[in-house]
Amino acid sequence: MKYLLRIFHLMMRELAILRRNHLYAFCMVVFPILVLVFFTTLMKEGLPTEMPVGVVDLDNTSMTRSLTHRLDAFQMSRVVAHYPSVTEARRAIQRNEIYAFMYLPKGTTDKLLSNRQPKISFYYSYTTMAAGALLMKDLKTISTLGSAAVGQATMQAKGMTDAQIQTLLQPIRVDLHQIANPWTSYNVYLTTMIVPGIIMLFIFLISAYSLGTEIKFGTGKQLMEIAGNNILVAIVGKYLVQTLIFLAIVYAYEYYVFMVLGFPHLGSPWMLVLLGLIQVLSSQGFGIFAFGLTPSLRMSLSICSLWAVLSISMVGSAFPVMGMDGALQTLSWLFPLRHYFMIYQICIFNGFPLIDAWFHFAALVAFLLLPWFVMKKIKNAMLTYVYIP
Amino acid sequence: MSIFRNLNEGLHDICFIWWREMKLMVRDEGVIIFFFVVPIIYPLLYSWIYNNETVHEVPVAVVDDSHSSLSRQFIRMCDASADVKVAYYAQDLNEAKSLVSRQLVKGVYHIPSDFDTNINRLQQATVSVYCDMALMLTYKAVYQTAQLVTMQMGTEIKTKLAGRFTKQEELIASKPLAFDEVPIFNPSGGYGSFILPGVLMLILQQTLVLGIGLAAGTAREQNRYGQLVPMSKHYHGVSRIVAGKALAYFMVYAVMGAWLLLAVPRLFHFPQLAAWPSLLAVVFPYILACIFFGMTVSCLVRYRENVMLLMVFVSVPLLFLTGLSWPQSNIPAVWQGISWLFPSTFGVRAFVRLNSMGASLADVLLEYRILWIQAGAYFLLAYAVYRYQIGQAQKRIKQEYQDMKERIEERKKHAKV
Repeated sequence: MKYLLRIFHLMMRELAILRRNHLYAFCMVVFPILVLVFFTTLMKEGLPTEMPVGVVDLDNTSMTRSLTHRLDAFQMSRVVAHYPSVTEARRAIQRNEIYAFMYLPKGTTDKLLSNRQPKISFYYSYTTMAAGALLMKDLKTISTLGSAAVGQATMQAKGMTDAQIQTLLQPIRVDLHQIANPWTSYNVYLTTMIVPGIIMLFIFLISAYSLGTEIKFGTGKQLMEIAGNNILVAIVGKYLVQTLIFLAIVYAYEYYVFMVLGFPHLGSPWMLVLLGLIQVLSSQGFGIFAFGLTPSLRMSLSICSLWAVLSISMVGSAFPVMGMDGALQTLSWLFPLRHYFMIYQICIFNGFPLIDAWFHFAALVAFLLLPWFVMKKIKNAMLTYVYIP
Repeated sequence: MSIFRNLNEGLHDICFIWWREMKLMVRDEGVIIFFFVVPIIYPLLYSWIYNNETVHEVPVAVVDDSHSSLSRQFIRMCDASADVKVAYYAQDLNEAKSLVSRQLVKGVYHIPSDFDTNINRLQQATVSVYCDMALMLTYKAVYQTAQLVTMQMGTEIKTKLAGRFTKQEELIASKPLAFDEVPIFNPSGGYGSFILPGVLMLILQQTLVLGIGLAAGTAREQNRYGQLVPMSKHYHGVSRIVAGKALAYFMVYAVMGAWLLLAVPRLFHFPQLAAWPSLLAVVFPYILACIFFGMTVSCLVRYRENVMLLMVFVSVPLLFLTGLSWPQSNIPAVWQGISWLFPSTFGVRAFVRLNSMGASLADVLLEYRILWIQAGAYFLLAYAVYRYQIGQAQKRIKQEYQDMKERIEERKKHAKV
């Protein structure tokens, strides 16, 4: 009872602090929402559509023009310009006007009709990865279709049935099942990693910041006094309010993304609740630990921000962890976001049971318990440290 | 005469402020972290992370219900490809699914029992590919390998079925229209070569802004009145202060810029096609724009740590605004507009095209001009906010002086009474 009362007093005190310093409102509510809006509107289309491509058509016959038209009709590409030569088209890529172009050399139609196997080429730039890879797919389809059109005509003339023609054109077909993300949406795949990552960044920073400012503004002694000189009570009382606010933000994010925008989530809704809870608690654990390691505001903030920014890469969502060097694969365990992402990927995105992600869940619990090691140091800092600018 | 004296005095003041700023810089551990440690260590870390460029040997599971020589050929060819490794043979799809759930494989190839019967009966056969879509690169590897292998096998089957006379005829019949795919600029499709140039340029801006912000915060906290600009005879004249500080930052970042943009790409063999005059022409206004941008931001923060809370999280959205990951042509207009506020948007675009695509300065003229405009605009802004700060400081001092005077008068009066 005594403890509960103290915690209650600390919570009231914390509420007053949060209201007084506007920075908290920005970092805990405004910025996370801004980031969520940014990423979901930026990639609203899911897959980039109507990307500019060029054509170098030196043959200029009805056949090559129909190929160009078909390319234009594809969802992802839009033919914006014709160029007189490959050099010109390449320079257009360098000037950022197009991402790729198709080259139809002179005599393509002649050779095609006389069975001399003409060769067309398509050039695409991999300096913008998504654009390059997606356009390559479109251009490849176009050439295959062009091939098929010719073959189809001769086979029809020989009196084959449609099924036979189909078989002869493509004896083996790939039946693709894109589990959980059949649209190959980049929004689904990037937003669900980056937005939680940035929310975790804010939790890290605010956790370290709010302890550090106690020393900076010389209120550490007061904090310990209210807590009855019990560091555990002090920490719990201080962070409970923040935990609740961050939980609200995390659940708002999950609700918006999974319920309103309809991102795939095959697991149960309770899994979302559990994941949000462990995400907030483990990040707070990390932030407090970072402060306890170096009871200095600026060092702990530096550590937190550097770690959080690095974790966006180490999470292995864009470039998979299995493609990295062995040492880095082990190092990735030290990043809470990595474990968060693995649980999300296994239990929510693919809907497998939590037992399959037990290791990552345990790791997040370990992050939550990390402050235990530095409790004494924090208490000492609160009571004795003096801020030096 | 007086012009020369003014100039001489101005130069002296600039140099004094420059020297003092350098001294402050090396004394402040926060500034050291962001000006020296991060720009040196981070690029190395990032390069290490992305140095393998592509994923090879993505593990997949195979469910072979056909058990024929053709299905075994398919499995063999997939396994032999660079991108995919057949890690497990599963009895049925359920077992394969449990392998996916334990993260042992990233995809499943299912060959149905009628696979070879269909082919031999002149019917289209199918191979089902199930992909774990959580990772785009592994999905691409799993799917594209299956596509490639089925196409190759298909060509073989076609030539057998067609019954032509010569090899050449077979070849042409199976593929009347040949095509070449030529990935230009970053031909291996490496992830590091694609993302790293942008990241390096962004690190330049972010560390500069963070460092300048921290330095300004320290200056303000050490000042008795919480002012950014100390009262000293060298610190009158706003342009001297701005120029002196900018010179100090520029000196450090001339070195850091060379390390980030020249040494690191060379160390890790990332593409480096830029001619040095055009690279210099772009990076010079970029660093200037970043410095004045940083100085403007630094006036907005009250406590030194706040700049970290403001600037760190922006890094990720800024990287996306450059149009590297998500194509520039598909960024909504609102965000395009906001991206114009940051030097990094144009700095990254210009650098990537110069360095990875071998463009000339004429090809990045737009970005080059905007960078100069940004440098100019942020210089004026920095000038304005510094002038405001100095005005505030002087007002404060006057007030203080007035108060002191009044107090003395008061005391005198009391003494008389």
